[in-house]
Amino acid sequence: MFNHKFNSFLFVFLTIFMVACSGGGETTEAPATESTPEVASGVTPDLSEAGSISGKVNFEGTKPRMPRIRMSAEPTCEAKHSGPTYSQEVLINEDGTLKNVFIWVKEGLEDYQFDTPAETATLEQNGCLYNPHVFGVQTKQKIAISNSDSVTHNIHPVPKNNREWNISQSPEQKYTRSFPRQEIMVPVKCNVHPWMKTYIGVVSHPYFSVTGADGSFSLNNLPPGDYTVEAWHEKFGTQEQKLTVVPNGASEIDFVFQG
Amino acid sequence: MKNLIERLRSWWKSRTPLDQQPIPEEDPLVKSSLATPIAISSLLLMLSLFWALYDETFGLRPWIGYQKEFVGAYRKVLTRIRPDRAAEEKQVQSSAAYQELSSQLQDAETAIQKEMTEIRNQEKLLKLQLATLSKVFTTTRSRIQAATYAVETSTGNTRIDLEEELEELNKGPYLAAIPETANEIPETRKYTFQEMEERFNALKAHQSDLQSRTVKLLREPSRLRRERNEYSQVRLTSLTENQVDGILNGLDNFTTEIKQIHIAEMGLVDRCESCHLGIRQPVVMKREDLDGNGLFVSHPNRDLLKIHDPESLGCSPCHNGNGVATVNTQQAHGQYKHWLRPLYSKENFEAGCIQCHESDRRLAMAPTLNSAKEFYYQKGCWGCHAREGFEVEPRLLRATHQAIDTLTLQRVKAETQITRTIDQADQAETNEEANRLYASVDAINMNISDIDSQLQQLNRQIPELMKEVKKAGPNLKEASLKLKREWIPVWIQNPQKFRPNTKMPRFRLEQNEIEAISAFIWQSGITNSLPKQPPGNPSRGKTLFETRGCMACHSMGEMNGGDFAANLNRVGEKANYDYLVRWIHNPRQRSLPYCPTHARDITPEDYASQGLPFEFGLEKNICPLGNHFLQVQQLVVMPSLRLTTKEARDIASYLMNQKHDDVKYEPAPYLDDPQLFEKGRALVRHNGCAGCHEIAGLENDGKIGVELTKEGSKPIERLDFALLTHTAKEEGWYNHKGFFEHKLENPAIFDQGKIKKPEERLRMPNFDLSPEEINALTTFLLGSVESIIPENFYHQPGGAGDDIQNGWPIVMKYNCVSCHQFVPEQQAALSQLPRYQTPDGKEQLPPSLVGEGARVNPEWLAKFLKNPALSQEKMNRNGVRPYLQVRMPTFNLSDGEIQKLVRFFSALSKESIPFTPPQLEPLSGRELTMARDLFTHRTAPCLRCHATGDPIADRDASAPNFQLVPERLKSNWTERWVVHPEIIRPGTAMPSGLFRKEGDRWVFALGDVRSLRNYKGDHAKLLVRYMLGFSPQEQRRLRGR
Repeated sequence: MFNHKFNSFLFVFLTIFMVACSGGGETTEAPATESTPEVASGVTPDLSEAGSISGKVNFEGTKPRMPRIRMSAEPTCEAKHSGPTYSQEVLINEDGTLKNVFIWVKEGLEDYQFDTPAETATLEQNGCLYNPHVFGVQTKQKIAISNSDSVTHNIHPVPKNNREWNISQSPEQKYTRSFPRQEIMVPVKCNVHPWMKTYIGVVSHPYFSVTGADGSFSLNNLPPGDYTVEAWHEKFGTQEQKLTVVPNGASEIDFVFQG
Repeated sequence: MKNLIERLRSWWKSRTPLDQQPIPEEDPLVKSSLATPIAISSLLLMLSLFWALYDETFGLRPWIGYQKEFVGAYRKVLTRIRPDRAAEEKQVQSSAAYQELSSQLQDAETAIQKEMTEIRNQEKLLKLQLATLSKVFTTTRSRIQAATYAVETSTGNTRIDLEEELEELNKGPYLAAIPETANEIPETRKYTFQEMEERFNALKAHQSDLQSRTVKLLREPSRLRRERNEYSQVRLTSLTENQVDGILNGLDNFTTEIKQIHIAEMGLVDRCESCHLGIRQPVVMKREDLDGNGLFVSHPNRDLLKIHDPESLGCSPCHNGNGVATVNTQQAHGQYKHWLRPLYSKENFEAGCIQCHESDRRLAMAPTLNSAKEFYYQKGCWGCHAREGFEVEPRLLRATHQAIDTLTLQRVKAETQITRTIDQADQAETNEEANRLYASVDAINMNISDIDSQLQQLNRQIPELMKEVKKAGPNLKEASLKLKREWIPVWIQNPQKFRPNTKMPRFRLEQNEIEAISAFIWQSGITNSLPKQPPGNPSRGKTLFETRGCMACHSMGEMNGGDFAANLNRVGEKANYDYLVRWIHNPRQRSLPYCPTHARDITPEDYASQGLPFEFGLEKNICPLGNHFLQVQQLVVMPSLRLTTKEARDIASYLMNQKHDDVKYEPAPYLDDPQLFEKGRALVRHNGCAGCHEIAGLENDGKIGVELTKEGSKPIERLDFALLTHTAKEEGWYNHKGFFEHKLENPAIFDQGKIKKPEERLRMPNFDLSPEEINALTTFLLGSVESIIPENFYHQPGGAGDDIQNGWPIVMKYNCVSCHQFVPEQQAALSQLPRYQTPDGKEQLPPSLVGEGARVNPEWLAKFLKNPALSQEKMNRNGVRPYLQVRMPTFNLSDGEIQKLVRFFSALSKESIPFTPPQLEPLSGRELTMARDLFTHRTAPCLRCHATGDPIADRDASAPNFQLVPERLKSNWTERWVVHPEIIRPGTAMPSGLFRKEGDRWVFALGDVRSLRNYKGDHAKLLVRYMLGFSPQEQRRLRGR
């Protein structure tokens, strides 16, 4: 019994002691809140000395043969194409550069905040193909989706970090959608026409680009700083390079994908 | 002290009477002072008073201090959240919808205001009028009633007098000053009783008229007010500012007192909340909200608390501890000697669930317990340790056999009685007596027919129940057919070394013991030879292995599939190819059937001795040596994937390539030594191998471990800590938790330091458990107690709740959860494989079964579960989703298991069973045309994805077979599905937006269907009626269109 009482006494003493200490702790709390890093994500970049990054994506190795898309089930789509249609998975330009590579600044922009652009991106379904086959948008940027065919499609993005949805679209219908979270890349399919694919790069900033018919890309108006640039390809995966953009400087980098 | 008494005594003796006393020179009292003793005692008294006061306040009642502390801490929290609460409320109230409702409410109130004022005025006047009148009226009425009674009970002259008196009373006159308008000075008038009565009734009628008018007027405003309240209630995430203020005000009047829950029925007094004051506060408080103080935190699981109201269940029934004690933490938490129910540690708190939820296999909010039960079943703990709720199948089988025996005996008795009664009747003295006896013979005969009916049913159940009986490990009778001989001793020595995470545990065996056991296993089994199999194509086998669904249960090296069954990365080192082919083709196939009555396998010679061909199977299951049912299947859960022999060879060839390159096994000549046989058998028996394996001659061996159903209530003295008792006490783990944890981690631990013969040593093998597994099992064992709670508190869900709990063991037994999702919070193991992460891969997954009971007709489901190919001829396919490479296997479920599963699905989806399909109105001719137009509309490509059973069209199919719709789907579900597939199955391949809402009906959203232009009905409903009547003829007709 005595032991218990002694314990209780100790406990009371300790409690008072601890209360006193925690009281003391309160006063030191104030500076801690001041240094909360929350503030950092909200800075608009200073673009007065902005630079740029540009380059090419080359392809080396044997050009893979793309499988033919059999569209006979949709004669109206088939009629839209002059010849046979092939998968758009790997498109190599005549000059040996690689098309449809998504380039974006992966690291280096974490401290900045960017407004959602007012302009709307477009995604069209034409000839039973998604157009474009690879494209980028900023988070929350609107994507206008249209169907230029006379058949019904369904748009079915299968993201990992955004919410999945799947909606039918007849020729007359128009939809506007957006993705709230950054994700490289959001694959989009059509269940009615399993060959239809598009990939959307959803980026929290405006520094992204897709290589076109000359395999080139450019990321303009970048605040000076150290960056990691990533190139993504549907079949060949990703590569990244680190580089520094000096004030008003123009940096050049090239990527090479092996076939 | 002694000195003092001595002095007092001498003083008493020496004193002289007062009158003789001379006047003292000095006062003796002053001279020999008592001041010192008095001062000392008063000091002691003071000290004990302080001590008592201190002990009263702090020592015995630490909770008083806590309560004071709580008021401060809670006030701080409330003050901190108050501005946020106010801001949120303001935000909700400033929303357009709320403002709109407010202004509507205001308008509605203004609109009725005039009429309401008028009614209120009238009511006021009416009240005055009624008050004035009823004073006179009610007294008079009572007097008249009394007078009437007097007349009724009187006779003769008195009656006449009384009648006159009554008439006088009726006549009055009575004086009353009833105001006619609100502000006048009322005039006194004369009334007869009848006049008064009429007036009174008129006033009452007016009153109820006014009341009903009020109700009618207030209807709209109160509806709007309710709507507005609901609007803000739904949107507010926590308390309102007013509510916070209410609590703050309450804190000002906080009374320091014991907070106690008393439940007389349980004999429970819980004072836990005298210290843990934040547990049920409406504001959720976490440790970090309270500056790290854990004492006042809210209960971490509000949902759990909602269904287990402490007011009616207390705290200690779930958490243990000594609910009455308030002296100190140790006492209150019951963490002292002799208290049998110490507070469960945080990591074991789910143990408290079991005593009321013993019969629940899976509990919604107890993941640790669920994993422990899964583990207990899957790893075969029940092979050695009986526990209620596990291994029910053999018990049911035994009970059925017993019931058959009892009924058979009853039948014999009844027949004897018939013979006897007929004898008596034949010799009866009177015809009446004879007829009475003959009639009783008829009654017994009818009773026999009843018994026969029961016997028929029970006999039908026997082979079904035999299908349900399983063992945790493989059949060792076939060891010599399936295994490489040199591998056996290597495996027994350390199974974990060969195959990490295997369920086979590591036994403590000497080399000579291993040799004897291996020899016994090798020699005791079947010695038949198997047909030679030609080699298959390993690369095709690899694809099949990875796509058919094998990986839902098996892993392959680093390629992580399921962990329900073995990782097969070294299977090529141990297996015999010919056996493997048979095993993959049909894992349930036995070499010889087993006859429980003869307790041995039945050989071809046994069949020949009866002149019967050697044929056995699920249909041919009668023992040739007598009329008994045979066990015709292997006692394993592995199902048949309905593969062709060629596919089985391909997979087996692939598996045979799975081996480490550099392994070499020592030759094991002792396997053939007949002298080791007996020793081996004794060791196998001693170590309880037959608990998990079928072993020749040991089929009926009992369990070697203790029953664990009430293990948590065992007195601590009966848990043998052996030489570690002292250490355990010193290190603070001399309790149930400590015993279980140490035993599970190292089952041999309590042999430490003991001198024992090998056969006396603790037998439990080492399962190489992970800390999580140890914790889960400890929780399970701690909770396996003799319940102190009255049975009416147990969870006895009944009906659908029982159906759910009866279904889970089957779902877990066959590992259905590895392929299918049953409840939203559960993910199938298969869906985690890389192959199924791509958009197209995802659609190759087995279907989710959340809501399956709402989707499919239970009769169809039973049929499907029996044969998932839905065809007797085309077995090598999926019946519903032919496009999936992964295959729904045939489990050879018993009828009972199928029924339980069907009820399980219905109950999970809150569907009633039996299911009566609603009668759909047949389509009229016009409707049929419209439905066809809709179904085949160029923009509604149903059949572009859905299979139809037509092999050519189905080549590109990627959705379930349409031909099955009428039989398979429920119309209610189908209606919801076609309009909103994404809410039933998020991420489904079925697109949304096929229909849009137009008023009350759904209309086709993907274009104009000419024949539907003037149709006023619901398009979705029309389509569903069409689909539910879809026939092969209709399909042929459509093809012609």
